[in-house]
Amino acid sequence: MTLDRRTFLAAGAGAGVVALGGGAWTLLRQSGRAGEPSVDDVLHDPDQPVLGNPQGDLTIAEFFDYQCPFCKRGHPDLMDEVEADGNIRLVMKDWPIFGSASVLAAQMVLGAADPERYAAAQAALMATPARLTEEDVRTTLAAAGHDPDRMLEIYRQDRQRWDGLMGRNAQQAAALGLQGTPAFIIGRTIHAGALDRDRLRAAIAAARSGA
Amino acid sequence: MALAQPAPPLDPSDAFVLSVTPDAAGGLQIAWDVQPGYYLYRSKIEAFDVDGAAIPLILPEGEVYDDPWMGRDEIYRAPIATTIPDPRGAVTLHWQGCQQDGICYAPQQVVLETDGTVRAEQVAEAEAFGSWRADGNAPQPGAPDSATSEGQDGLKLAKEEGLVADLAGRGGVVFVLLGFFGFGLLLSLTPCVLPMVPIVAGMLTRRGSGMTAGRGLALTGAYVVAMASAFGLLGVVAAWSGANLQATLQSPWAIGVIAAIFVMLALSMFGLFELQMPTRWQARLAQRPNSAGSLGGAAVLGFGSALIVGPCVTAPLAGALIYIAQTGDVALGATALFALGLGQGVPLLAVGAFGPHILPRRGAWMERVKLAFGAVFLGMAIWLAGRILPGPAVLALWAALLTGCGVALGALDRLAPDTPRGPRMVSAAGLLLVFAGLVQGLGAALGADDPMRPLAPLANRVAQVSPDQPSFRTVTTQAGLDAALQGSQPALIYVTADWCVTCRAIERGPMSDPQVKEALNDLVRIKVDVTDFTTEAQALMTSLAAAGPPTMIFVDAARSEPQSSRLVGDVETPDLLASIAKVVE
Repeated sequence: MTLDRRTFLAAGAGAGVVALGGGAWTLLRQSGRAGEPSVDDVLHDPDQPVLGNPQGDLTIAEFFDYQCPFCKRGHPDLMDEVEADGNIRLVMKDWPIFGSASVLAAQMVLGAADPERYAAAQAALMATPARLTEEDVRTTLAAAGHDPDRMLEIYRQDRQRWDGLMGRNAQQAAALGLQGTPAFIIGRTIHAGALDRDRLRAAIAAARSGA
Repeated sequence: MALAQPAPPLDPSDAFVLSVTPDAAGGLQIAWDVQPGYYLYRSKIEAFDVDGAAIPLILPEGEVYDDPWMGRDEIYRAPIATTIPDPRGAVTLHWQGCQQDGICYAPQQVVLETDGTVRAEQVAEAEAFGSWRADGNAPQPGAPDSATSEGQDGLKLAKEEGLVADLAGRGGVVFVLLGFFGFGLLLSLTPCVLPMVPIVAGMLTRRGSGMTAGRGLALTGAYVVAMASAFGLLGVVAAWSGANLQATLQSPWAIGVIAAIFVMLALSMFGLFELQMPTRWQARLAQRPNSAGSLGGAAVLGFGSALIVGPCVTAPLAGALIYIAQTGDVALGATALFALGLGQGVPLLAVGAFGPHILPRRGAWMERVKLAFGAVFLGMAIWLAGRILPGPAVLALWAALLTGCGVALGALDRLAPDTPRGPRMVSAAGLLLVFAGLVQGLGAALGADDPMRPLAPLANRVAQVSPDQPSFRTVTTQAGLDAALQGSQPALIYVTADWCVTCRAIERGPMSDPQVKEALNDLVRIKVDVTDFTTEAQALMTSLAAAGPPTMIFVDAARSEPQSSRLVGDVETPDLLASIAKVVE
């Protein structure tokens, strides 16, 4: 009798997936496996600016890009929910996958330095249509009352820190098997792709009850 | 605002299925099959030559999309194609797309050779962010899933274990363990596990009366956990040594020992002796109140059973062992294979819990069951020994067993005229067995070597006269292999060894099939002989990513191994023909 290994592996994986159920994968605290980030690494990077309630009981992390249409479309809902809940710690993890304009946007917003200005600059860029040129990034920020050149300068002064942060984000995205943006980590569960308000609420409730 | 709720996103390589075909004019036809609900950005489809200069592409008009969130963009929601005319060297191809209302994928990239084959390449972020790359082991966000990996000798080997590695990358340890448990569960549906059912049942019946479901479950549980532990141990050794374990399990002496164990079990069933532990051990164990001795015995039996089942499940086990040897992660290897063993044991637990409950408590019935199990054990022994004994000897053994069973069923007993229908049927069945035994005996005398076709020498006298096998060029070193791979004919690299029993079966069986022989004529046939398991041989196997013999690697004219063409372990004619077809154009 011949067992076809490929069929076998595929079917076995299928059985495993069915056993697990659902599309949300529980994160594990990885012990000692090189290159795999821990939950803490992902949710509590010391260099990562924090939005919402920094002392909140639940952390939401979103891997996003300033040119990703579904990140931007869902952003108002996310911010409303965080505001209304009042007990959520939100970290917006820059993972620029749409090229140089996205990288520039991320650099400038991180270069806003002050937490309030960081939030305002990010909000301004998230409210634009998805496709941006480098010029669009500058004009959007300038129109919102920021100084793009100053932001870039601050970013450059602390370049190692910010590049390190974005580098870790990309590594974590790879290690977690994220395929693109948006990807949410709510509590310990990864949600790939956009979440509408109802699913976001359900995910928050699930994370709280499971935690 | 409520968004439409999309399904979980596909893997990017499935959402946008890339195909590349060389055309007659020397160009490359490139097409993406865009799945419904997904789209590609026109502006993100780019090609670059070896110097990094953009290659102009003629792309069809896309759908102009303009909404407040997207901005103005041109996209493709349907399959699209383009051509790279006359590539002068390797071409780097970029593309990017999204799942509508779901996810936007990280950029995808492949490097194409001039003949259209895909080369594996690290993802290069365009923006001078060297530190952005993930470390080597992690899946690359933009790396194509179905890529090939570069072997040491420039051969491109298909990545066969992508799926398991993918599991590890995506969901961590839990995913891997669940996956392996699932594999085990599926394995338990294969005939490979059948030999364990009589062992378990035998173990339970031997205990005779007083067997409760709880006790049965405990015994079977001990058996299953021990079996899983044996698999786990295998994982540890595989991870530590990276050595050729499944080959060892197939070695003639291992098979001989296992066959002998089956004969012993059978004789014990026939009541020749009671299988017991040394009296000293028994005495020590008897001091414990809950008769732990039988639990211990069950565990020993379970541990041994893994060794019996191991060789039978070579193919999936080889996959698991390759994966574990690659990770070098001892703990993960052990737990993964332990999970596999547990999965395999689940149905046995059912036998343990319900089997004895269903069986009558006492009586002659019990004795007959024992005899039947004994016969099954002997059959197993012959089946195992068939891998190392010459064909006619195996047929002779079958002849003896079948005739013996037939006589035991009363085939030669004289029936009284008033014998009821039941015993008559039994007698008829016995007669059939005697007849089958006679045919096997005749086959043995004729020199047949396939118990399923004992009279083949009579029917196929002509075919049997020339049992020649295709000729192979034998190499034992990397240099020898490189030399043998010169030229542009597709090739079969067959990793084999004198001590590999399955290899003999393959050579006698599918490899001697006239159809296969003819198909193999188009291939350079290379035997990598690893009989002497030297460092050189091991290095050669590592460079081929072969777990051990038998492994068949098919490479095309460009020395690239097509996906899913590799054959590991026992194979059959259709598998061989399918793999050959993949490299012969």
